[in-house]
Amino acid sequence: MSWTHRERVLAALNHEEPDRVPMDLGGAEFTTLTLPAYEKLKKHLGLDHETKPMSIIHQVAHPDETVLRRFDIDTRNVQPGGYVGGRDRWVDDNCYIDIFDVTWKRSAGPEESHFLHKDGPFYEGKITIEAIEAHDWPDPGNPGLAEGVKERVAEIKSLGDYAVCLYLPGGVIHRGYAMRGFEAYLKDLYKNREALCLLMEKLCDFWVGTAENVIRAAGPENIDLIYFGEDLGTQDGCMFDPDNIYAKYIKPHHRRMVETVKSLSDVKVCFHCCGSAYPFIDHLIDIGVDALNPVQVTAKNMEPERLKEEFGDRISFWGGINTQRILPFGSKQEVIDETRRIISILGKGGGYILNTVHNIQPEVPPENIVAMFDTGRAHSY
Amino acid sequence: MAIEDIYDAVMEFDEDRVAELVKEELEAGTELKTILNDGLISALDTIGARFSEGTIFVPEMLLAADAMQAGLDLLRPLLAETGIKPTGKVVLGTVKGDLHDIGKNLIGMMLEGAGFTLIDLGTDVGAEEFITSAQENEADIVAMSGLLTTSMPEMEKAVVKVAEANKTRNLNVKIIVGGPPVNQEFCDRIGADGYGADAPAAVALARDFVNA
Repeated sequence: MSWTHRERVLAALNHEEPDRVPMDLGGAEFTTLTLPAYEKLKKHLGLDHETKPMSIIHQVAHPDETVLRRFDIDTRNVQPGGYVGGRDRWVDDNCYIDIFDVTWKRSAGPEESHFLHKDGPFYEGKITIEAIEAHDWPDPGNPGLAEGVKERVAEIKSLGDYAVCLYLPGGVIHRGYAMRGFEAYLKDLYKNREALCLLMEKLCDFWVGTAENVIRAAGPENIDLIYFGEDLGTQDGCMFDPDNIYAKYIKPHHRRMVETVKSLSDVKVCFHCCGSAYPFIDHLIDIGVDALNPVQVTAKNMEPERLKEEFGDRISFWGGINTQRILPFGSKQEVIDETRRIISILGKGGGYILNTVHNIQPEVPPENIVAMFDTGRAHSY
Repeated sequence: MAIEDIYDAVMEFDEDRVAELVKEELEAGTELKTILNDGLISALDTIGARFSEGTIFVPEMLLAADAMQAGLDLLRPLLAETGIKPTGKVVLGTVKGDLHDIGKNLIGMMLEGAGFTLIDLGTDVGAEEFITSAQENEADIVAMSGLLTTSMPEMEKAVVKVAEANKTRNLNVKIIVGGPPVNQEFCDRIGADGYGADAPAAVALARDFVNA
């Protein structure tokens, strides 16, 4: 039989082997290319079109249809539109204030870097229940969030039978860091737990409300996959205690998010968690996550063999091609060998979508990007 | 009352109790070095070891650092008065083009906890800033951090320039590098003196370099 892109992705996520490994590029803000990497790739491929940013904050590109077709990518991205009503604003080219009143800044380096949060509404002092309740929270029903969603879905449907991937940004940890400050948030997990839990609840409410708003606009039957997630791991370990902190105070929100989208639509869920996700994988399986991204194989306990052996029959893997060493600094042959190695381990019996470990960074040679996807395209089960 | 109580209070992240106990020890005439080494620094060593082995995590490190700081704040002026020298001086920063500071801040806290004087230059720090600050502060160590693979060439440039300044500009510092994309091989290739795989490892290196 000949497989459509969508069938290929869904088969893999159902732990079956399609004709070849499915591939993602640009399905979400963390499975795409940085703007400088995209410019180099365009030039290398002899393509000339205006680059559409997927996110200014993360400085990443929305790959053009010509690029996606060149690689035979199986996914297509849809995401919420921009909040309307003037809550967010640019202070200057390097400073942006978002709808949560968080200030984002970047350094104007030789290659423009992405933005990091540098101030937020709860950065100073102790947060209180009263202050969180009194905060002017954005409205998840804002019509801007649903704007363009229906049209984008129709556009994808007209292009072919692709896996329609809805990316829903945010969550309860990263947005929490942004509003409260990273260190203060982590300390509050112990020292001011009640208030922090309320902050998480408010953020979860917003995410769930947005999901309902956007999925309704897209038409629930049109969405194949939802991406969301936040980092629970670091390079060498966990951000926080997986059982005594994550499972008790954060996981219930993630469960509510997964259950919400699954109750609205027959979708798969891909959860993004950088770093050493290993101690959290059982928790993610427990709440109904279908695939783990980005599979940071260089982090602690994230060897592909270990992951496939321990979790391979219960969760799929999405990513895994090394962006910390092989893609930026390896030869073309090393990229080909590594891509084959990862597919042979993680893709055994399905359960694997080819993509890089996080976004393709500015210094990655375009030849290596081409080598990776061409290796995937030539693969067969 | 015993020095071990200070250690325990740090381990319990109890800032107020640490400050209270340090005051009591000072009033009782306990030597500053004993309070520092047996109370605060030994607690920090345990915390660091547990972090490296993965039994405690980032929040616990931050809270322990705060608790230590409560004690250090009381000891620091007294240490200066009595002429006891700090363990060493470290100039710390995230390299040019990189604004990430979580790992760098953890290392800063651990270094201060270990008795080093810290000059934190923040993020997006160029080679010249590292050199000038190291000269002005007569630093023993320059420590550079970076998260992005993009900042690795910047780190290399900065290491080369600082190493050059060691020869030509009357500087005498050891260079420590760290960050997720950094490893020992990279450290050796660019000519840094040491690679800190995590915050406790960076502190151990810094101690080695000043023979503390």
